[in-house]
Amino acid sequence: MEPRSIGFAVLAALLWSAPLQAQKTTEQFVPIGQSPGLSGKSTYLGAIEAADSVTQTVTAGGRSVQVTERTRIWLDRSGARQPNVAGSFADLQAGRRVEIKYEDEARRERADWIKVQADAGQ
Amino acid sequence: MVKAMPWRGGFRGVGTGALTGGFLCVFALAACEDPAPDPQAALIAKGREIFFNETFAGNGRTCGTCHRAEENFTLGPAFIATLPADDPLFVAETNPELATLENPVLLRRFGLILENLDGFGDLENVFTQRGIPHTLALPTSVASAQGPRTGWSGDGAPGDGSLRSFATGAVIQHFPKTLNRVSGVDFRLPTDDELDALEAFQLSLGRQEDLALPLPLKGVVAARGQEIFLDNALGKCNACHFNAGANGNPAIFGADAGNLNFNTGVEDLPDQPADLTGERVPPDDGLGTPGDGTFNTPPLVEAADTGPFFHNNSVETIEGTVAFYNGDTFNNSPAGQLISGATGSGINLDATQTEEVAAFLRVINALENIRGAVALLEESAAQKQGPARATLALAGAETDDAIAVLAGADLSLAAVAHLREARRLIKKAARSWFFRKRLTREATEEQRKARGEIVEES
Repeated sequence: MEPRSIGFAVLAALLWSAPLQAQKTTEQFVPIGQSPGLSGKSTYLGAIEAADSVTQTVTAGGRSVQVTERTRIWLDRSGARQPNVAGSFADLQAGRRVEIKYEDEARRERADWIKVQADAGQ
Repeated sequence: MVKAMPWRGGFRGVGTGALTGGFLCVFALAACEDPAPDPQAALIAKGREIFFNETFAGNGRTCGTCHRAEENFTLGPAFIATLPADDPLFVAETNPELATLENPVLLRRFGLILENLDGFGDLENVFTQRGIPHTLALPTSVASAQGPRTGWSGDGAPGDGSLRSFATGAVIQHFPKTLNRVSGVDFRLPTDDELDALEAFQLSLGRQEDLALPLPLKGVVAARGQEIFLDNALGKCNACHFNAGANGNPAIFGADAGNLNFNTGVEDLPDQPADLTGERVPPDDGLGTPGDGTFNTPPLVEAADTGPFFHNNSVETIEGTVAFYNGDTFNNSPAGQLISGATGSGINLDATQTEEVAAFLRVINALENIRGAVALLEESAAQKQGPARATLALAGAETDDAIAVLAGADLSLAAVAHLREARRLIKKAARSWFFRKRLTREATEEQRKARGEIVEES
C-alpha cells in the first residue's frame, strides 16, 4: 500500500465516529407515544414500577434502566395543553406513565431519554 | 340489421347489431382504460401536496415556505428580498407571539434561520443561525454507516433520526403558533401516512444517483478543475466529496461509509458576515448536544446555484468556497490537520487552480440543471395546459440557473447560447395553446445541444 493510501486510511480511522444519535431537542415536544419511528417499536411505553435515586435506576416493564448524566428527562404536559419542560429524576415516580428510549436498543441498560407524564398542576 | 358505427368514442348501432357492437365497445373501452395507478407516484403526489400546502395547524408556514421549488428547494437573500411582507417566512415580524422565532435582520440579509439545536431551555441565548439546506439528491446524501444524517450537523431529526422523521422536528421548530410549542395547541404532528408521503416526495427530488467521474468535459478550464478535484495530492476534494457528491471515498472510508461529518473550521472563519451586523449569533457547536464541532458533508453537484455556502451562509461565492480550503482556517482545523498528516501537506491551490475547481463545480451544476430541465419539459408535454405551465415555469427556472452558473464565470458560452434559446422557447411554450408541445420539444433539443457543448456525448 503506497504511503498516501496508508495516510488516508489513518485519516479514515481517526474520523470514524460512534453511531449517530438523533437530535434530542425537538423530541422534548413530542408527546409520550408519538415519537416518529420509535414509539411502538423500540421504546418502552408503560408505567414506572419503581425508582431508586441512590442507584439512579428506574424500573419499568420488569427491567431496571440506568439514568445517566446524558439521559434527557422531559415532563409531558401536552395533555394539560401546557409546554413540555425539562424534568429530573425526582419526577420519575412509581405509577407515572412513561416512555423510555434506550441508548442501546438491544441491551436496554441505559436510558437515552425518558418522557414522564406530568402530574396535574406540574 | 343496423350496421355498427365505427368506434369513435361511442357506439351508435341499434337492433340486431347491438350485441356485437356491445362487445366491440367493451373491448374498445378496455383498450382505452387508464393504466393502473402507480402507488409510488400517488404517494409522491400526496407528499408534494403536503410539502407545499400543509401548515400542520401552525403559524401558516409549510415546508415549501423555506424549501421553494423555484429556488432549488432552498432560499437565499436575493429571493427572500422579493417576497411580500405577509409571506409566512416572516411570521416573526408579523406575529408578536413569534417575535423571537427568527432574527429578521439575519433572515433577510443572509437567509439564516434560527434553530434551537442545543435545547429550548434558554431561547434568548441558546440557539444557532443556519442556512436552509436544499432537499435535492437526498437518496445520495443521507445514508451513512452510523445511521441517517439529516440537516447541517447530521442530527436534524427526532425519533429514529431518519429523513422520514425529519418533518416532525421541522414542524416543532419552525411551524408553532407560539413558542410554547404544545402539540395539539401550537401545531399538530404529522401522521405516519403524512411522514411516508413527505419522505417519498423529498426522495424524488433531483439526482437519484451519484456521478461517475471523470466526465469527458470539453472545456479546458473545467476539465483541469476536475483533474485537480480528483487528485489526492493536489485538490484532495474527492476524499470527502466522492464523485462530487456527499459521501466519503469508499477506498478511504470503507464501502458503506456513506455521508460523513467533519470539523472543517468554518465556525472559526474571521469576519463572518452575520457577526458584522452586531446581531447576536451564538457559536454553533455542530453535531450533538453539546456539539462536537462537526458538520455534515453536502453534495457538490448542486452547490454552484444553491449558495451562500456552509452551514452559516458565511461564504457567498463558489470560488470563495473552494478558496476556503486553501486558507489557514481550514488547514488548521481538525479535518485540515488530518488531511495534512495523511497526505504530507494541507491543500494549497493557487488562484488559477481555485478558479478551475470552481469552474468544474459550475459545469457539473449546469449539467444537472439541464438534466432537470429536460425531465420537466418531458413531464410538461404529458400534462394539460394549467399544470404544464407550472412545470414549464420550473423548467425555466432550471434553465435560468444553468445560464447563471455558466455565464457567471464565462464558461461554455456556446452552451449558454443554446440555453438562452431554450429559455425563449420555454416562455413561448408557456403562453401557447396550440404549439406548446412542439415548442417544448424544440426547447428540449436546445437543452441537449447545450449539454453537447459541455460534455462529450457517449
